[in-house]
Amino acid sequence: MTGPDVHTRRALLDRVPKGHAVALLAFLVLALYPAFRPYDTYYQTVLCLTFLLGVQAVSWNIISGYAGYVSLGHSAFLGIGSYTAAIIAERSGLNPLWMAPIGGVVAVVMATLLGLVVLRTSGHAFVIITIALLLAAQIVAVNWRSLTNGSDGITLDLPPWSRDIQNLPFYYLFLGLFLLTVLLSAFIRRTKFGTGLVAIREDEGKAAAIGVNTTRYKVTAFAASAFFIGVAGGVYAYFLTFLNPVGAFTILGSVTIVLSALAGGRGTLYGPVVGAFIVGIGQEMATVYGGSSSRVLLFGVALMLIVLFLPAGLLPTVEGWWRRRHATDTEYQDQAGALGAGTLQVRDRELAAAVVADSVEEAAASAASGPMLEVKGATKAFGGITAVDGADLTVQPGTITALIGPNGSGKTTLFNLVTGAMKADAGEVWLDGTRIDGMNPWSRGHLGLARTFQTTRLFKSMTVLENMVAPLPDARWSTMLKASVAGNEADRARELLEFVGMSRFVSQPAGSLSYGQQKLVELAQVLMLEPRLVLLDEPAGGVNPSLVGRIVEIVRDLNRQGVTFLVVEHNIPMVLELCDPVVVFSRGKAIAEGPPQTIREDPLVLDAYLGDEWRPPVETGDELTRENGDGSASDEPQEVR
Amino acid sequence: MLALRGVVAGYGGGAVLQGVDLTCETGSITCIVGPNGAGKSTVLRVVSGLLPCSEGEVLLDEERLSGRSPAAVLHAGITQVPQSHALFPQMSVRENVLMGGFLIRRDKKLLAKRYAQVEALIPIVADRSAQHAGNLSGGQRRMVEIARCMMLDPQVLLLDEPSLGLDPRSLGSVAELVHRLHDDGVTVLLVEQNVRLGLGLATHGVVMEGGKVRLTGSAAEVMNHPEIASLYLGGSSAATAKAAESAAPGA
Repeated sequence: MTGPDVHTRRALLDRVPKGHAVALLAFLVLALYPAFRPYDTYYQTVLCLTFLLGVQAVSWNIISGYAGYVSLGHSAFLGIGSYTAAIIAERSGLNPLWMAPIGGVVAVVMATLLGLVVLRTSGHAFVIITIALLLAAQIVAVNWRSLTNGSDGITLDLPPWSRDIQNLPFYYLFLGLFLLTVLLSAFIRRTKFGTGLVAIREDEGKAAAIGVNTTRYKVTAFAASAFFIGVAGGVYAYFLTFLNPVGAFTILGSVTIVLSALAGGRGTLYGPVVGAFIVGIGQEMATVYGGSSSRVLLFGVALMLIVLFLPAGLLPTVEGWWRRRHATDTEYQDQAGALGAGTLQVRDRELAAAVVADSVEEAAASAASGPMLEVKGATKAFGGITAVDGADLTVQPGTITALIGPNGSGKTTLFNLVTGAMKADAGEVWLDGTRIDGMNPWSRGHLGLARTFQTTRLFKSMTVLENMVAPLPDARWSTMLKASVAGNEADRARELLEFVGMSRFVSQPAGSLSYGQQKLVELAQVLMLEPRLVLLDEPAGGVNPSLVGRIVEIVRDLNRQGVTFLVVEHNIPMVLELCDPVVVFSRGKAIAEGPPQTIREDPLVLDAYLGDEWRPPVETGDELTRENGDGSASDEPQEVR
Repeated sequence: MLALRGVVAGYGGGAVLQGVDLTCETGSITCIVGPNGAGKSTVLRVVSGLLPCSEGEVLLDEERLSGRSPAAVLHAGITQVPQSHALFPQMSVRENVLMGGFLIRRDKKLLAKRYAQVEALIPIVADRSAQHAGNLSGGQRRMVEIARCMMLDPQVLLLDEPSLGLDPRSLGSVAELVHRLHDDGVTVLLVEQNVRLGLGLATHGVVMEGGKVRLTGSAAEVMNHPEIASLYLGGSSAATAKAAESAAPGA
């Protein structure tokens, strides 16, 4: 293994190895504890309940921490699991412990059905529905007397083992389930599925634009978060040997789960684990010293204190404090465009074939007949304003087409209609012979359509590398469950980052980069999708002039390999140099189209967009100057090559 | 006079600004240029109090600003137009602009007077007053953002990339606006990637790199600096002379 490789990998895994070591140690201590104190039934019971809370908090974290969809009714799955196992055990006479996995399956089925209904949309409906689930489950359990024995509850047989070791089997069952839940959570976080969930939390629209099937991700996460709670429910039923609707479906149970995850650190792997121990042991102490009613008061105060002083939770706060105390030096090396760094070094090797998939070239060859993108009569109105007004636009394969026009002429809205971020009021969109206007944004992404945004929309809490591997080029389940930073892909990501000159930043959180740097990373990010058509929304905005040249060069390179581009840009020298043809938009539709030279002299365009400065100059020398203006850094790499 | 003395600041990972010394004379337009990630926007964040500095100080007319809250800095007469869109999308343009006068909200007369002034200065405020800010295009939002900052009649205006996302014609109106503010005696500190536009507007130029100030001078001096010309304005060293030449007349 080479030096730098080890280094980046270590930086990548962050402090996780240390965290794993501490977790493993804690697990061993807990696993050995009963061996030393086998008759401490009280403490064992407290720990059993803490483990159970841990199972729930870690599970909750999958949907509400990673994906950001807060569930306030998660204890319903515990009740569903308990009742399932208890009912089957009661009717069949088998031991409820064998039925516990069935409880998990039923919980997953319930979560999937509910998720399919409510998780299709984004927003707050989910929170309300989860509370409704909890209340509805309780009402069903009370009223379906023939199945659940109503409010009288179900009494199970006592465990067959000796009273002396009463708690030990449960202790290890709960501890085992806790471990499995943490492993599931860790596994999910490591896969592209987990990265996708965090992407959904950070920016759902952007996640869809890079090919993440947000509905499927959310429903799967919700189902995954229900399974181990359901299994634990079966064990819990036997542990209690008595079930009733009020105890099984209590809102206080849900509050405890949420409180644990918030206290420890929502969205982190070990946060909910730490939180479960704090809340689990804390509430037991409150019951002992303050009486059982003090528990509710304690929850209220604790929740308030957390929201006020530890909004991110204990673990992230400690981590942030540690990082501030041990600040690393910010290195400024070979900044593009720095004084003394000389002029920009131009890459002397070709863009590696890995960057552009073979399929792209094939597709480009086969599609040479029809247009790559065709927009017919697209219309979109916001309230009284018609942003896009029956626009027609055709992009031929293999071109770099520019879309220019005054602010407010509907260019970005047209992009949104093409990528599916918005639904058109009327009109059709065709991508390479396929009609796409009814498709989901991610399906369009899988067809080879990618875009960048005017103001960058990277996932700010993820590292640059995680951002790079977040895009999903297809809809296969196997892709979804692949490790998020797998070798092959990570190499391609690093190579692309090198192209945009951002390779030194792989392990930095994207949010810590400056605006222009984020712009470059976003460009590299969409290239991970192996797109056939890339929509660039102001790629040069906020980027240092000397880097504009690099962007031009990358676009040219990719174009040569068969990628088609549609560019919105206000940097006119760059447009005139890079793009052909140029389409001019005004008031929601195209008013002119043609090669750059014709466009810049078109009186209509001069009036609507370019303004007097671009009128044919009186003296020719002036024009030369302007040609060498802002965009002229882009001339330079060409000369060198 | 706005001054930064040995300012060190960062976002937790490390010091982004590593000892910045910078002076803006009253009534001047100072433009900061430099590579992406050099700390240009961070300077503005430190001045406006959004980011505390760990060492050094920020002074406005010999009065220490560093350590004060953003609201206190606003009271002192410094307003900032941020880099990315910061309008309230569900509010109308009028409401957004009035939000800029939050500090003077109790003085209805003054508020009305300022609003009328801003309306006269930036026509889009009157034209689109009832529209939701979320329905405006990028360039229109930019103008409204500047309008909002003008509600406090600031001594110092911080502009983070005023040209970002603007079409060539709006660019002209922003430039004109900055000139008009200059004529009114407002001190302007701006960060700009469009070096030609930025330095063309400014009276003073500052080049930042690696969290430090590398070069200061009058805008023309900075623009004519051979390395700047070669890096930002004209490309290769062969073109340097030409670029420097062409830059001299000013944009």
